Amino acid sequence: MQINLLHRPAQALAQVWLEPNESIVAESGAMVGMTTNVQMQTQSGGLMKGLKRMFGGESFFRNTFTAHNGNGELLLAHALSGDMSVLEMTQHGYFLQSSAFIASSPTVNIETKVGGFRGFFSGAGVFVLKAVSQGPGQVLVGGFGGIQELMCDGNIVIDTGHLVAWDATLTYTVGKSGAGWIASYLSGEGLVCHFKGQGRIWIQTRNPVEYGRSVGSQLPPRG
Amino acid sequence: MDPQQQQLVPAAPAGAEAPAYRDNSAQASIPHEITHGPAFAMLRVDLPPGQVVIAEAGAMVARHTGVAMDVKMNAGKDPGFFGMLKAIVIALIRKVVGGETFFVNHFSASQGGSVWIAPTMSGQVLHRRMNGETITLSTGAFLCSAGDVDMSLKFGGFRALFAREGAFFLEVSGRGDLWFTSYGGIEAIDVNGTYIVDNGHLVGYEGALTFDIRSAGGGLMGMVASGEGLVCEFKGQGRVYIQSRNHSSLLSWLRPLVGG
Repeated sequence: MQINLLHRPAQALAQVWLEPNESIVAESGAMVGMTTNVQMQTQSGGLMKGLKRMFGGESFFRNTFTAHNGNGELLLAHALSGDMSVLEMTQHGYFLQSSAFIASSPTVNIETKVGGFRGFFSGAGVFVLKAVSQGPGQVLVGGFGGIQELMCDGNIVIDTGHLVAWDATLTYTVGKSGAGWIASYLSGEGLVCHFKGQGRIWIQTRNPVEYGRSVGSQLPPRG
Repeated sequence: MDPQQQQLVPAAPAGAEAPAYRDNSAQASIPHEITHGPAFAMLRVDLPPGQVVIAEAGAMVARHTGVAMDVKMNAGKDPGFFGMLKAIVIALIRKVVGGETFFVNHFSASQGGSVWIAPTMSGQVLHRRMNGETITLSTGAFLCSAGDVDMSLKFGGFRALFAREGAFFLEVSGRGDLWFTSYGGIEAIDVNGTYIVDNGHLVGYEGALTFDIRSAGGGLMGMVASGEGLVCEFKGQGRVYIQSRNHSSLLSWLRPLVGG
């Protein structure tokens, strides 16, 4: 499998080349186009797994695309304007912000995890995905705006709304941004993720929830 | 000058080289980098020990753990009691007219460290080294500042109250670094004479410019029929910054599509 990213960075489109009988698992709704020899199968992986995904902010179903009778091409896109990144699987795997997931190799196991902080008001950071695999594989992630890779060398604090993915070698806690709850509320920073250890973190340069609130608060309520 | 300040700035001994802090214009900008522009720009400031970056509330993306964040009311430098009172009143007005939040975050690092800052909307971030000039920004265009930069709120005139944008402006002056932001790309227009800019597309201006807010088509009827709303007519010599997108247009495009 080879993934080529087109139209970066503002409107990235992933061009996936599948070898005969090779598959890729994609988030429902991500498919833009494909050659006719690529077949799509919809799976929930069981009711509980599907429900768990739904609570994690993803869709109930996930689609598997397989190339039959020769090579196949598949185009995938994210819902928001922005960049994409291909993460090569490592021994420890990755944590993903649930809405950043677009697709992964079938060898990669994507699990929904409780993000470590039960903040009902946060809009982000309640659930995260963990991507692990035995062998090699790839995960395709998408961001709102640009994607920047940061090295965590000890300590870093990141707004939960700007997180895309991070190495599972890092330990993290989700908490308030300032010294106290009042200061954190006034600071407008919401919840932040405190990272410790050594590893890479991918952030998105725009915060989808903040953007949605800023525009949405000035629109009429849904009828 | 009070005696304490005199102690902090000793006279240079005769024959010695003038210390760098005496000449503010030669002072280098705080180390920083703007990436991911023009569509989704983000700013990274590498804070030297003792320096402070003041950013719009909610604009922080990430920071090193050693960088301290203190939330403060946006009252300008040493406001005193009445200054604070004024800040509260202004803050309430800004809240009502849909400007920014009235709190700012102060970032500082005793050991040095980086802070990453980004605006909410898609767009560019521009850096401006301030050497004593004054630049006037639309509310919402301010992202952050460093150094001896002061801000005050300016009333755009009674006519401007009819428009969402342009009722208030932020007057930024002093010496230091200023970063401002736009929805869409930023275009700098050098004006010598007159120039008309749509209110919603105005990011800011500087130089010897005066402006008048009026309806584009002339009168109330022209304002409604042309769809251009209010415009700023600039006169004089200076630079006007405009943005290639505007909030009101986005909202009026979305409004009929929501709900239904």
